[in-house]
Amino acid sequence: MSEAIPVVLLIVPFLAALACFVIRSSACRSFIVIATAAGLAVSSLLLQGPLAPDAGLRWAGIIDPVITGGDFLLLAIMFFLGCRYRNFLIIMLTASQLGLFAWLEFFVFAEDQGHALFAVDILSLVLVRVVCLVGGLICLHAIPYMQAHEQHQNLARSRQPQFFAVLLLFLGAMNGLVLTNNLAHFYFFFELTTLCSFLLIAHDRTEEAVGNALTALWMNGLGGLLLLLAIWGLYSQSAQLDMGGLVAATAGNPAALLPLALLVLAACTKSAQLPWQKWLLGAMVAPTPTSALLHSSTMVKAGVYLALRFAPAFAHTLLAQGLMLAGGFTFFAAAALAIGQRNAKKVLAYSTISNLGLIFACAGIGTPGAVAAGILLILFHAVSKGLLFLCVGTAEQQVHSRDIEVMRGLCAQMPFTGMIAVLGMLTIIVPPFGMLLGKWLVFEAGADHVVFYLMLVLGSSFTLLYWVRLAGTLLASGQTTGFKPEIKPFLTRFPLAALGCGAVMLGLAAPILYGRLLVPLTSLFPVGRAFSAGQAGMLTTAVGSFPLIVVFAVAALIGLLALSGVSKAMVGRKGTAYMSGANTRLPDHFVGPLNRPVRAVVENAYLVPLFGEERWTLWVNLAATGLLFLMLGGALWK
Amino acid sequence: MMQTAALALAVPCAAILLGGLLSGIDRRLTARLQSRQGPPLSQPFLDVIKLMAKERMVTNPWQAFSPVASLGAAAFALVFFALQGDLLVILFVHMVGGVFLVLGAMASPSPYSQTASQRELWQMLSCETLLFLIAGALYLTTGSFRLSELSALPEPLLYRLPLLFAAFFFALTVKMRKSPFDLAGCHHAHQELVRGVFTEYVGPYLGLLEIAHWLDIVLYLAICSLFWATSTPAMILLPLAAFLAVIMLDNVAARLTWRWMLGWGWGAAFVLSALNLSWLKG
Repeated sequence: MSEAIPVVLLIVPFLAALACFVIRSSACRSFIVIATAAGLAVSSLLLQGPLAPDAGLRWAGIIDPVITGGDFLLLAIMFFLGCRYRNFLIIMLTASQLGLFAWLEFFVFAEDQGHALFAVDILSLVLVRVVCLVGGLICLHAIPYMQAHEQHQNLARSRQPQFFAVLLLFLGAMNGLVLTNNLAHFYFFFELTTLCSFLLIAHDRTEEAVGNALTALWMNGLGGLLLLLAIWGLYSQSAQLDMGGLVAATAGNPAALLPLALLVLAACTKSAQLPWQKWLLGAMVAPTPTSALLHSSTMVKAGVYLALRFAPAFAHTLLAQGLMLAGGFTFFAAAALAIGQRNAKKVLAYSTISNLGLIFACAGIGTPGAVAAGILLILFHAVSKGLLFLCVGTAEQQVHSRDIEVMRGLCAQMPFTGMIAVLGMLTIIVPPFGMLLGKWLVFEAGADHVVFYLMLVLGSSFTLLYWVRLAGTLLASGQTTGFKPEIKPFLTRFPLAALGCGAVMLGLAAPILYGRLLVPLTSLFPVGRAFSAGQAGMLTTAVGSFPLIVVFAVAALIGLLALSGVSKAMVGRKGTAYMSGANTRLPDHFVGPLNRPVRAVVENAYLVPLFGEERWTLWVNLAATGLLFLMLGGALWK
Repeated sequence: MMQTAALALAVPCAAILLGGLLSGIDRRLTARLQSRQGPPLSQPFLDVIKLMAKERMVTNPWQAFSPVASLGAAAFALVFFALQGDLLVILFVHMVGGVFLVLGAMASPSPYSQTASQRELWQMLSCETLLFLIAGALYLTTGSFRLSELSALPEPLLYRLPLLFAAFFFALTVKMRKSPFDLAGCHHAHQELVRGVFTEYVGPYLGLLEIAHWLDIVLYLAICSLFWATSTPAMILLPLAAFLAVIMLDNVAARLTWRWMLGWGWGAAFVLSALNLSWLKG
C-alpha cells in the first residue's frame, strides 16, 4: 500500500495532464483539475516514510527505460526549441547535455544493483505535501483566473488545455523529483521542470514572454549541464546513483567536493540565486498561477531541496562556508533590491530570491539545527508566498496594474483579497508566524559567523521594511464604512482562505516539526552542535528558546482585544484625515486654488537612486559571482 | 508559575509608572534648560488620562487596531525581558509594536502621516539592525542569546563593546524621538509634518500609543543596562546617564534630515558595531 502511493503521486498528474490536453471541454477540464488536486492532496497526506529499502524495485523494469527515453525526448525538444528560436546558447547547452548523457547512459552507468527507486524521509515528506497541497490550491485558483485572463485576449481557440496540462505535469515532475532515490531519475525530473517552466512562461506568446522564457530555458539548461557533470563526478567517486548512498559515501571525501560544488551551482541556477535571478524576474510576465507555482511550491524549491539533501555530504568544508556566504549575500542583496521596486510582483520575486538565499545559507551552515530551519523555511515560505502571489494576481485582474501605487487603498476596494494579502505579509514578518520562526532559527544557528550574521541582520531589517510598506500601502484609504466583500468565484476565494488559514496556523506546528526533523538530521551530520528538542510548545535550540505557545496565545489575545477595539471604533463618529484644516468632502482631497478640490498625492519613498535595480544589478551579480567562485575554490582547496 | 503570572502583571505596570516618570523628568529638565518652569512630574500621566477620556474617532479602522497591538507587543517584550528570555525573541516581539504603528499611520490618506511613515520605516531600520547586532555581541561573549547567562560574566560588557555602546546611543536617540533625529514624529506638534506618524491618531488611541512609547523607552534603557550587568548600581546609573545625555543632546542639537540619519548616523553606527563584533570573534 505505502509503496503504491509514490507511484500514484507520480502517475496521476501525468495522466491528468494528458487528459487536460486532449479533452477540450472547459467543464471537463475544471473537473479533472479539481479531482487531481484533491487526489494529490489526499495521497500526499497518506504518504508515510520510510519506505522499504527496495521500494519500487518491481517497477524498475518499466520506469528505468521510460525515464531514459524521456530524457532523450526532453533534450531533443529543448534542442529543437533552441533551433527554432535561433538561440545559440540553448543549442550549445542542450547539445552538450545530449552528448554527455548518451555517453554516461551507454558507457558509464552500470546496471543498478537493486537500490530503492523511491525514498521517503521527512524532507521529502514536507516537500511532497508542499507541492501537492499548495500546488493543488494554486491549480484550483487558476481555473477562474485563466477564464478571466483569456477574456482579454480574444483568442480564436482557447489555450487553456495546454496551460493546465503543463501545470499538472509540473506537479508530477516535482513529485517525482522529490520522491526519487536515483540521481539519474532526479536529473530527468529536473529537466522536466525546466521545460515546463519554459512552456508556462511563454504561454501568452508575446515577444516579451517568449524572450523571458528563453532566458529561463538557457539558465536552467546551464543548471542541467552542471547537474549532469556533478552526477558524472559523483558516480565516478562511488559508482552508484542511490541518493542516500551517495550522501553517505561522499561525506568527508575531498575528491567528491568538486562534483558537489557543481551540484550546488546547479541548485543555485534552479533557485534563481544571484547572479541567475534574471529568469525568475522575467517569469513575472506569465499569468499569475505560473508565478505562484514557480515561486512558492515548485521549481525554485527543487534547487534548495537538492542543496539540503546533499548538505550532510559537504558539511563543514570550505565549500559549505562559501555557500553560506553566497546565500547570506543573496538574502541581503535581493532584499535591498526589493526596497527599490514599485512593481508588486517584482517585490514578491525579489523576496522569493532573498528567502531562498537564506535556505541555501542553512545548507551551508550545515548543522542539524540549521538544516531543520531550512526545511521549515521551505514549508512556511511556500504557504505565505503562494498566498501573496494569488492575492496580487486577483488584485491585478481588478485594478489592471502591478504598480504598488495603483494598488494603494486596495483593502477598501477589495476587502477580502486585500485583508488576506495584508495578513499574508504579516505572517512573513511578525512572530509567532512560521517565517519568523524559521528566521529566528537561522539567527540562532548562524551567529557564530560574524560576516554572515551582519548580512542576516541587514537582510531581515530590509525585509521588514518592504513588507510593512507594501501592507501599509494596501491599507491606505480614508474609507470607514460600507465595506462589501467583493464577489469572486468560490474557486478564487477558497484557495486564498485555505492558504491564509495555513499561513496563520502552521507556525503552531513548528516545535513538533522541528523536533521530528532534528532526530534524523542529527544522525546524518558527522559533526553538529548539541541540541535539545525542548518541551512541548517551546522551540529550543542550543543557544536560545522561543516560547511559541505563549507568544501565540498572547498574540491571539492582543489580536482579539484590538479587534474588539475596531468594532467599537466602527460605530463611533468618523474622522477625516488631517489636511491642514482645508478638508473637502472627498476623503483625500484638500481645498486648493480657486476653491477647487486637489487630491493629496503621497507616494512611498522607493529610493530608486539608492536601491534601484538598474544601478545595482551589475555590481550585485559581480559580487555574487565572486562568492560562487570562492565556493568553487573552497571545493578545489584540498 | 504563579510567580511568572505575577511578574507578567507587575512588570508592565511598573514600566508604565517608570516610563511616565521619565517622560515627566524629561519635560521638566528640558523646560529648565530653556529657562522655563515646566510642568509637574505627574503631567504625562494627567495628559494620558485626559486622552483616554476623549471620544473614539478614526479615519480608518486600522487606527483602532494598531495602538492596541503596539502596546501589547511593547508590554509583552518587557515581560520577556524581565523573565530573562532569549534576546532575539524579545527584539522580534518588540519589533511588532513598530510594525503596527506604521501600519495604522499608513492607513490614513493624510499626507503628513504618510510621509512620516516612510521616515519611521527608516528609523525602525536603523534601530532594529543595531539592536540585533547587540544580540549578536551578547551571543559572541556569553555563548547564548539568553539573558540569564549574562550575570555569569566576570566583567561588564561595556569593556568589550565600547563601539557598540556608541551605536546604541544613536539608536536610543532615534527611538526616544529626540533631536537631531525627531524626524518621524517629535513631541511637539510644530514640525513640518505636524506630529508625524501620530498625526492621525486621536483620543484614546493616541493615549495608548503614548504608553507604548514609554514602554519602548523602558525596554531600551533595560537593554542599556545589559552593558553593565555585573553591578546593580551601575545597571541603574548607566541607563540614567544615557537618558540624560539624550535630553541634553536634544536641547543643544538642531534637527538633521532623514538622509543624514540614514547615511551618516546609521552608516557610522553600523560600521562601528561591525568592527566591534569582528574583534569579539577574534
